[in-house]
Amino acid sequence: MIGAGNGDRPPAKAGCWIAGEGNFSASSGTEEVRLRVQQLSLREQMERNHFLLVRLNAASARLIHSLDGGDVFDAIAETIANLIGSEEIAVFDYSAAKQNFSLAWSWGVEADALQPFLCGAGMFGRAVEQGTSQFKERQPKALLLPFEKKLTACVVLKSSREIVGVIALFGLLPQKNGLEWADYELLKFLETYAAVAIQFQRLQARQVAP
Amino acid sequence: MSTKKILLVDDSCTARLVNRMIFSQKTNYVLISAVDGKEAVERAKREMPDLILMDIVMPRMTGLEACRALKKDKETEKIPVILLTTRGEEQFVQEGYASGCSDYLTKPVNDVELLDLLRAYLGE
Repeated sequence: MIGAGNGDRPPAKAGCWIAGEGNFSASSGTEEVRLRVQQLSLREQMERNHFLLVRLNAASARLIHSLDGGDVFDAIAETIANLIGSEEIAVFDYSAAKQNFSLAWSWGVEADALQPFLCGAGMFGRAVEQGTSQFKERQPKALLLPFEKKLTACVVLKSSREIVGVIALFGLLPQKNGLEWADYELLKFLETYAAVAIQFQRLQARQVAP
Repeated sequence: MSTKKILLVDDSCTARLVNRMIFSQKTNYVLISAVDGKEAVERAKREMPDLILMDIVMPRMTGLEACRALKKDKETEKIPVILLTTRGEEQFVQEGYASGCSDYLTKPVNDVELLDLLRAYLGE
């Protein structure tokens, strides 16, 4: 065997053999600890990813369930409250033709506090202009408008690349220090699938209406 | 050793779904569910679960009311109740413990934290 030495030594990979001492040096223990830490970190990474998939699966199942006579807005609210951690949400419709916003639904936010958003300034405007969701944590403070103080995110709702609305996410629950990695992934999921579900519900309402 | 039974009480379909997925993939616990406090009390008496995991804000009967009712009843008083809720404010936590719950967890749930807590009560 290439590199196997004289047969008296244990394989070099697990530590440092010191001739004449007949055992491993302390560094073998350190190496073992290092490998164990690395292994735990990889496991944690896998577990985190798995838990994200569980949450995405639940969000998706909830939205699909809402298509059969449920309420899509309730499904969005439940997903955000239970899986992300906010009970202050508003959904705005956006008309690309008229370039204006209208309030479609809200939960936990005073109607008066939502009025300034209808003009489409600030994070809202940027979200629609750039076609990408905007997050307060990632905005330069100077760009934030006074009425955006409690805003956490503007999630652009896109169906077939067309912007149909924006979810405004206001205060997070007190136990949340901010949005986390998995929260961004869930919001990314809602960008598309909440938009599709809302459109589905609207088409259904038009069919039912006389 | 018999399989442990958990009664999950939440009016949110999303919360029930996500917890069901966590339990089914990572544990052997049997999961039964109820959608409000009133149903939880009835189901607990009927099925005698090993543990109850319950939301607070629910229609018909809140989690706090249900917890108090369960603790008053000789049949169900020993079943550990873990309150699982979006309400993380100190006032709500204190009210939770005053109702007789064994533990209090806030949403959004962290699967590792939740499973560790359940294992502490029920074993693997």
